[in-house]
Amino acid sequence: MTEFKLPELGENIDQGDLVRLMIAPGASITEGQPVMELETEKAIVEVPSSVSGTVKEIRVKEGEKVKVGQVIFTVENGAGGVARTASAAKQPVPALPSTPPVSSSAAAPESKPAPARTAVQTAATAPARRATDTGAQTEFKLPELGENISEGDLVRLMISPGARVAEGQPVMELETEKAVVEVPSSVSGVVKEVRVKQGEKVKVGQVIFTLEGAAAAPTERPQHVPVEHVSGQQGARLAFQAAIRAEGKTEEQALPPDAPAPAIPTFAMPAQLGKVAGTAHGEPIPAAPHVRRLARELGIDIHDVKGTGPGGRISKDDVKAYSKSLLASAAAAIQAPRGTQLAQPELPDFGKWGKIERVSMRGVRRKTAEHLWEAWSTIPHVTQNDKADITELEQLRARFAPKAQEAGGKMTVTAIALKVCASALKIFPQFNASIDMAKEEIVYKQYIHIGVAVDTDRGLLVPVIRDVDKKNIVELATELTQLSKKARDKKLIPAEMEGGTFTITNLGGIGGTGFSPIVNHPEVAILGLSRSSMEPVWLNGKFEPRLVLPLSLSYDHRLIDGADAARFLRWIAEAFEQPFLLSVQG
Amino acid sequence: MTDASNMHIAVIGGGPGGYAAAFLAADLGMKVTLIDRELNPGGVCLYRGCIPSKALLHVAKLIEEAHQAKNWGLEYADPKIDLARLRSWKEGVVKKLTGGLGQLSKQRKVEYIQGRASFDTSNVLRVSREGGTEESLSFDRVIIATGSRPAIIPALKLDSPRMMDSTSALDLPELPKTLLVIGGGYIGLELGTVYAALGSKVSVVEMLPGLLPGADRDLVLPLHKRIEKVFDSILLNTTVAAVKEESGGIRVSFDGPEVKERERVFDKVLVSVGRKPNSEIHGLEKTQVRVGQRGFIQVNKQLQTDDPAIYAIGDVVGEPMLAHKASHEGRTAVEAIAGHKVAFEPNAIPAVVFTDPEIAWCGLTEAQAQKENREIKVARFPWGASGRAMTLDRTEGMTKLLLHPQTERVLGVGIVGVGAGELIAEGVLAVEMGAVAQDIALSIHPHPTLSETIMESAEVFFGTSTHVYRPKRSA
Repeated sequence: MTEFKLPELGENIDQGDLVRLMIAPGASITEGQPVMELETEKAIVEVPSSVSGTVKEIRVKEGEKVKVGQVIFTVENGAGGVARTASAAKQPVPALPSTPPVSSSAAAPESKPAPARTAVQTAATAPARRATDTGAQTEFKLPELGENISEGDLVRLMISPGARVAEGQPVMELETEKAVVEVPSSVSGVVKEVRVKQGEKVKVGQVIFTLEGAAAAPTERPQHVPVEHVSGQQGARLAFQAAIRAEGKTEEQALPPDAPAPAIPTFAMPAQLGKVAGTAHGEPIPAAPHVRRLARELGIDIHDVKGTGPGGRISKDDVKAYSKSLLASAAAAIQAPRGTQLAQPELPDFGKWGKIERVSMRGVRRKTAEHLWEAWSTIPHVTQNDKADITELEQLRARFAPKAQEAGGKMTVTAIALKVCASALKIFPQFNASIDMAKEEIVYKQYIHIGVAVDTDRGLLVPVIRDVDKKNIVELATELTQLSKKARDKKLIPAEMEGGTFTITNLGGIGGTGFSPIVNHPEVAILGLSRSSMEPVWLNGKFEPRLVLPLSLSYDHRLIDGADAARFLRWIAEAFEQPFLLSVQG
Repeated sequence: MTDASNMHIAVIGGGPGGYAAAFLAADLGMKVTLIDRELNPGGVCLYRGCIPSKALLHVAKLIEEAHQAKNWGLEYADPKIDLARLRSWKEGVVKKLTGGLGQLSKQRKVEYIQGRASFDTSNVLRVSREGGTEESLSFDRVIIATGSRPAIIPALKLDSPRMMDSTSALDLPELPKTLLVIGGGYIGLELGTVYAALGSKVSVVEMLPGLLPGADRDLVLPLHKRIEKVFDSILLNTTVAAVKEESGGIRVSFDGPEVKERERVFDKVLVSVGRKPNSEIHGLEKTQVRVGQRGFIQVNKQLQTDDPAIYAIGDVVGEPMLAHKASHEGRTAVEAIAGHKVAFEPNAIPAVVFTDPEIAWCGLTEAQAQKENREIKVARFPWGASGRAMTLDRTEGMTKLLLHPQTERVLGVGIVGVGAGELIAEGVLAVEMGAVAQDIALSIHPHPTLSETIMESAEVFFGTSTHVYRPKRSA
């Protein structure tokens, strides 16, 4: 009997509401066949089966919350069973190090036979990522960095040949499409050869450096999760996973599928002490007696602490730092499952004043609430207003509309605004950036991916159009039409809503003369379009009726000065007024 | 945390483990009752072990050096040994030390009861005082620190004043012309050394193929060579089949592949075949305390027995049966009782054999590394290259470091040579602090002292020892 468990759906998605089940007991299913529709915080997704066979038992009901890893149904005569992650197809599982140690010099100590790796592979449900980290290594390969991340740009190398690295020590900074991550080493030893250069793209599984006489990282140690410098949820999730792993559990164990609320990994002091008392370790621990005593007082197993001193010696500070990290991850674990907690004042009893109905804030709405709260509370917002005379543009739009129609798109103001904004972002790169307060750095993006807010009956969704600067208006119109339709049809997948560098929101279809959009964090600016209307404009000594489009630019005042915002928006307005500008400057 | 100041604890046994526990408990504000048979605290260590044997070994060393002084142009007549005076000096040392401990007990307001204790329940003790009165006393916690006693092999049990154990041998009743030491462990060799120096012809018989089983062979070798000269004979791979008293002494029959003389007669025989834990405590069966196969009381890392009210420390809980281990355990147990999160978890317990030369080691031994198939690097420094050893005319010594091959951490230290027992303390500190070879090599050691041999063995590891040309050379 094979079980089908809810696979990973994407970044930060750990559960969803089961909207529709497409199978019934006795039904025959094949791998890849959609089996249910799930509403996550980001979108409605169809979940394909990763197993084939006859459905025996269905363990979930429509309307229920389903968690990643939870068993959905069981299959008889089943095949497969490996929970396929969305990324599994494009991420090659790096080959296990089968090449002989590159660096065995004569003086190198006789290396012991590599520990059996079969254990890793027998566990069918174990994530593939573990395979990279095990086994005796004399090479360090780029480990899995997270869901959907298969490569990154090497921003900074922190090692050089001859340098000594210890397990857990950061060796490089990698910029992935999601974040800049610090990658810790999983091996200890002296670096022999560095096989990558700064600025290069590095793929998961690629050899980064080789070691002289390497000591492989003990496999039973908790895995080192790359520390991602990203805000809120992602960090919390990583910390949560780390905390779970530190407890020797799988995520599934820590989040029992049937429990009403995710179990919070608490820091159980007595259990820890008991474990220490009963465990016999072969090698004495390289920590001075007072350090060992401190660890006991803090309820920490000294064997879990990584020593930063020579020979791995553990200092008092190491113990304190480890203790802090445990507490932090435990705290994060408490928050992670629910995301950012909204500190809210207590509500009155609305029922006192009349009849009320309470409806659960599902998926998209809750996610929107959290995300906007986060954006609003972290970004000092300023909104700059302007107007663009689009009389001429409107004529052009009408003229070229059939061309877009032919291609299957709709030539809208939004489609044109995409092109205009892409050009503006090239000229004003600070609007195509993010702020990394923690590292005190500005992240300039060399790509232009623009999100467009789409109003759906489920709520606000923001599909992202990639490489807007490399596409013409007809292409953009077509893509926008398709994505909008997908959004309304609940077919949008999370990946299609990620990676934006700027956002456009157009409320013109409904009405209004202006508004203050909220910046889509971690972006730094958003352009709002209102309804264009005929206005008298003083032109050539008289008032003329012109079609005028109100523009509202909200921006992150931490990064963008008011004057820059005024210039940026003026440039956009002028580009709307004189489309030729796009060809000249854009 | 438990409020320690309201606790009343009893410590059964006043040896180095028991009195250390009692004193710390008193210092932490507990009410403490310490029960021991002797007039004052001290236990085997002070009354019948470490202290009196060291006093006698000091004398033995002096005699040896006086002999050796001939080579340095200093000739003494053979010593006249006044055994009674020697005995009383030794006893004076013991009395001074144990009396001092009695004083310390009083100053700390420890209630010291000379008597014996048995269990009525887990926390009620029946205490019979030396005077004969008996009373039931209840306590919050009890620490068993009853220690150990010389082991007896039934085949060697012979009720004769010619048969001695370590206790009677230290009493120094008279000097036998010939003495057989049964058992080549540290107690037998230390006492054999004393008697040999005082003039007895000493033979030692050991069932195993080497002296001091458990110690690394390279450490034992220099001692073996010297003992060969000082002792009459060393019988290895040999067992004692029977002992029989006759008018002229004890007739001992030997058994073994290398035995040349099947039977020999000795004036006296010292049986030193190990020690047995004193776990046969009256009423212990009324508690939940569990005693293991070999007679050791079973405890966890906090020294707590299966009975939550009862702790046990020292020789009675297991090897190594050493005073300093007992003291540390005693203090740990008291801290645990006081509610501190502690455990007995040393990385190194030093072992010292006070023979001449002394042997001392701590942490990992080569024998243990081999047994556990652990890869280590060993750096040896022969004392032939030590100026200080030369001035003492004792260059047979050797110092070695056992190092982790990758991290270069000091995992163990072994020393043979005069003063090894004092030198090993640095090794303990190195192992406990997680020192690496370079730490030791870079710490300036005073010249000219034997302690430099520790620094230089670290230099040997790097192949840069000032006084050794070849990186590795056996002593």
